[in-house]
Amino acid sequence: MSNPPLLEVEGLTVEFETYGGVVKAVRGVDFTVEAGEVMAIVGESGCGKSVTVQSLMGIIPMPPGRITAGSARLNGAELLGLEPRAANAFRGKEIGMIFQDPMTSLNPTMTIGDQIAETLKVHRGIPGQQAFESAIKLLEMTHIPEARKRATQYPFEFSGGMLQRAMIAQSLACSPSLLIADEPTTALDVTIQAQLLDLTNTLQAQDAMAVILITHDLAVVARTAQKVCVMYAGQIIEHGSVDDIFYQSAHPYTLGLKSAMPSNIGDREKSLDPIPGSPPDLFSPPLGCGYAPRCPHAMRVCHEENPPFFKDSNNTGHATRCWLQAPNAPSVPELYQSNKIASDGA
Amino acid sequence: MNTLRTLTEADFQPAPSQDNLEQISRPSLSYWQDAWIRLKKNTRALISLYLIVGLAFFTLIGPWIWTKDPAAQDLDQISQAPALPKTALLVKDFEPSATPIDTTHPPAPSGYPDALDAVTGLTVLGTPTTQSVRLSWSPVDQAGGYSVYRSESAPEGLMGLGLPLASLTAGNIVGFEDRLNLKSQTYYYSIIPTDGFDEFDVVSTLEVSPQQSITVSQALERQLIDSDDRPGQTVQLAFHPLGTDYLGRDMLARLMQGARVSLFIGVVAPLIYVLFGVFYGGFAGYLGGTTDQVLMRFADFVVALPFLLFMILFKIAFGIGPGESGILPMLIALILLLWPATARLVRGQVLRIREQGYIEAARLLGGGPSYLIARHIIPNTMGVILVTLTFAVPSAIFTEAFLSFIGMGVAPPTPSWGSMCNEGVKTMLSHPHELFFPALFISITVLAFNLLGDGLTEALDSKMRSKE
Amino acid sequence: MFRYTLGRLLSGVITVWFIATATFLAMHAVPGDPLMNEKATTAEIRENLARKYGLDRPLPEQYVIYLSNMIQGDFGISFTQQNRRVNDIIKDHFPVSAALGILAITFAALGGILWGAITALYRNQLPDIIIMFLVILGISVPSFVFAALGQLLLVNLNQWFGTSILPVAGWGTFSHMLMPSLVLGLGTMALLTRLMRSSMLEVVNEDFIKTAKAKGLSPQRIFFKHQLRNAILPVVTVLGPQIAAITTGGFVVELVFAIPGLGRYFVQAVQQLDYTVIMGTTVFYGAFLVLMVILVDIIYGFIDPRVRLK
Repeated sequence: MSNPPLLEVEGLTVEFETYGGVVKAVRGVDFTVEAGEVMAIVGESGCGKSVTVQSLMGIIPMPPGRITAGSARLNGAELLGLEPRAANAFRGKEIGMIFQDPMTSLNPTMTIGDQIAETLKVHRGIPGQQAFESAIKLLEMTHIPEARKRATQYPFEFSGGMLQRAMIAQSLACSPSLLIADEPTTALDVTIQAQLLDLTNTLQAQDAMAVILITHDLAVVARTAQKVCVMYAGQIIEHGSVDDIFYQSAHPYTLGLKSAMPSNIGDREKSLDPIPGSPPDLFSPPLGCGYAPRCPHAMRVCHEENPPFFKDSNNTGHATRCWLQAPNAPSVPELYQSNKIASDGA
Repeated sequence: MNTLRTLTEADFQPAPSQDNLEQISRPSLSYWQDAWIRLKKNTRALISLYLIVGLAFFTLIGPWIWTKDPAAQDLDQISQAPALPKTALLVKDFEPSATPIDTTHPPAPSGYPDALDAVTGLTVLGTPTTQSVRLSWSPVDQAGGYSVYRSESAPEGLMGLGLPLASLTAGNIVGFEDRLNLKSQTYYYSIIPTDGFDEFDVVSTLEVSPQQSITVSQALERQLIDSDDRPGQTVQLAFHPLGTDYLGRDMLARLMQGARVSLFIGVVAPLIYVLFGVFYGGFAGYLGGTTDQVLMRFADFVVALPFLLFMILFKIAFGIGPGESGILPMLIALILLLWPATARLVRGQVLRIREQGYIEAARLLGGGPSYLIARHIIPNTMGVILVTLTFAVPSAIFTEAFLSFIGMGVAPPTPSWGSMCNEGVKTMLSHPHELFFPALFISITVLAFNLLGDGLTEALDSKMRSKE
Repeated sequence: MFRYTLGRLLSGVITVWFIATATFLAMHAVPGDPLMNEKATTAEIRENLARKYGLDRPLPEQYVIYLSNMIQGDFGISFTQQNRRVNDIIKDHFPVSAALGILAITFAALGGILWGAITALYRNQLPDIIIMFLVILGISVPSFVFAALGQLLLVNLNQWFGTSILPVAGWGTFSHMLMPSLVLGLGTMALLTRLMRSSMLEVVNEDFIKTAKAKGLSPQRIFFKHQLRNAILPVVTVLGPQIAAITTGGFVVELVFAIPGLGRYFVQAVQQLDYTVIMGTTVFYGAFLVLMVILVDIIYGFIDPRVRLK
């Protein structure tokens, strides 16, 4: 509470100029990450999670992308809108990044060892052979067997899980204070996922490194994160501790996500409830709450005005962008009741 | 942050439920509708479409509008550059005139002169016409003769005198009539006095621009005048908007006829060999197994043949009889050599599509082979075939032009753009228009089909479709 | 890699055999007796030739003689140039064509990669628009027109400066080679530029470029070490077919610039129906092109580890 946060993002807004018009991919996102903390950003495809972190790294293609508002400070230093040279002072050094698809995220014509060593050469000025040796150590650290031999191989000679380990080794080369993992396990099978998450957790704990974990897999969140932001249609709609989000979920969308998730507790015969409909068109985001058209509890105000964050009464840092949390709003069961009556009457 | 308004009870009323959640708001377009919309948005492809329509008009309708005979020679206007309609002065038929001799002057020098004066008083007698230019000058003392030169550019002293027209071997001949292949352009006549054998280093030059003219009998023969027209009148000559070639044939008419030949080969050959390739490749891909292996191995060998060399070989092998144009042998050779590329492509497509999940799904739903082919395989390969066809046209036109250029293509007198280039390149330095126009037409056609092919590729690319 | 090379060479030999056979069949489909050509003058010569090539024997036997001669590297004797062996013609004139072709493909490859990289860097800006316009021209204009224009340009340049800057035609010195090889390479250069551009733009969108940025590499390092190398790969694959295009394109360029290369002799032989020269040079060119394609494939293998290590 007392220390300034490691990363502070405020009002981040990102747009993409496309063939069909301007897509407002991220619409005013705020969050903070404390040192040594694992924060997860969850949400369905296209909700803006990847764009959020990629714009922090300055790697969204510009044009068509542009950051129209907001700031992001790492230890007080602004990250957004930097020249490549200035940005490179933290990219790869202060912030490491892992991508979704390890198969395509490594240069196919360069050996794994060279690619890892490259980071060290550029940021630490370590000469070639020595950097390569360090690369082998990093590969060993990520539990790649026969690391020395593996370092001289090319990406196509690696399996997906091994490649993601190499990616992790590469992103950790300069011991960054923050690691951004953009859906690191989505492209991998479940056993490899588990191994990798354990690996990340161990390494994170060892170095007291902060992690931003992007995922749409709630199981992964529960397993690794301490803090969670739920994104929907380019906005964070609920954030709080992992317990808050899982056990005190306040936003209907979060509730929806949870009921769409398989569980091994309780009634096995119970079918999963998908959330009906699809996210709004971000070419012209709705006036009100983005989730209102799909929300079973939508009220008049929801279609007219975007809700602000309402803090949880017990003040744990859990906040929700939902009119249902407004002090004078009706409680959910009674609303559900009236909703039902309304639809029956129609 | 938005300022909060005060919320009333009404705000918290349930919103009317919306039942159309699963409905997709954008209109659904078929593959071809979508491709057409995107092609229309592509300016370059659109321009190329207009160009192709223009070329079709030029080729098919053109000869109905510009009815000049492409084989007729206009001997008055040989290698004529593009120009507005020309008129000519009607002159009398040629009557030989006596050599102008100054009888007061001695015909030969009295000894061997060491130096001679330059010719003076050099003028043109009468109106200089393209029928004759009559020069006259004053005799030079002690001269034993004169050399007459004609150049198309101004000589510098004794350099660049041009064509030697005559060596007169008497000092008292004081005139010369030039009738050699004159055109309506500026000439520089140079006269050098001689001692009867050797030229001296003095020159007099006169600039003459003969007027375009035609004799009465020629004009009558070409039906340009009535029999009662008299010399001195002006006569309207045949109009050649793009000029004429080295035989005086109208370029525009020849370009139109050449377009019929070049575009016929350029469009018909690809149509046939792409169609053949589609059947061959589709057959191989659909059957699979050993048949496929054997068929495709043969196609591989044909692909390995060096294309242009074998075009030439086949052209020789088929031979061109007297009076034949050589279009058919070229067509056959093109088809024989170029089908395998399409066959490979289509086979690859068919194999790929056969493995797709939706084919499996259609089969599980009870779709028979003919249904699968008609409903899935053909529509999904059409795009690729169309693009191949579009790109095949320029390459066939290039091939025709190349072969005609090295003299192995369409046989004269049938014009094709390539053979016109072949003829034009010989006179490139003096009459560049004879090369320029056919080359321009080849380039525009190839450009149009290439751009259209690019546009189609982009429009039909389903990857692009999902990106937008 | 060794087995791959061996396999490619073996299939190359079969291809050359196919080319030789196709040439043989095509030439024997020629209407009339090639030896009745008025150019094979005396009865004695005719008889000698007939004996040498077994032209009085049935076709299969002729084919065997033809193949065995060819395996021994004997392409026969020219019909029109007396006492000149086809081997000698190839030996004398192919080096000229090869020198021209090598220079042309060098121009084309370096130019294509350079211009392609520049257009991709300045995508949709002025340099890109200008270069792509020239590329469209380069693809649409036939090589003989370039040759003619190149020569015209030289004539005018030499006139303008009043001295011979570059020779207009002929062969002998390096300066004779410059203009012909440039015009010969132009079409290929345009094609490679286009390919390089699209390849560069494709690579720019690859995930590993994003990774490289996230690693904090400088734009220059990303461009040279990550983007360029991967973008060149598809360009290398089309070099094989493009060598064929340049070889045949050489025919007209040699014709226009009066270069004593094999291409010009081939065209002459074709025009004079000099059958042995046509057959000999066709098979020779065929074998040469097959070899070039194999060579390019092997070179590609060395550049792309995915091929090399499989």
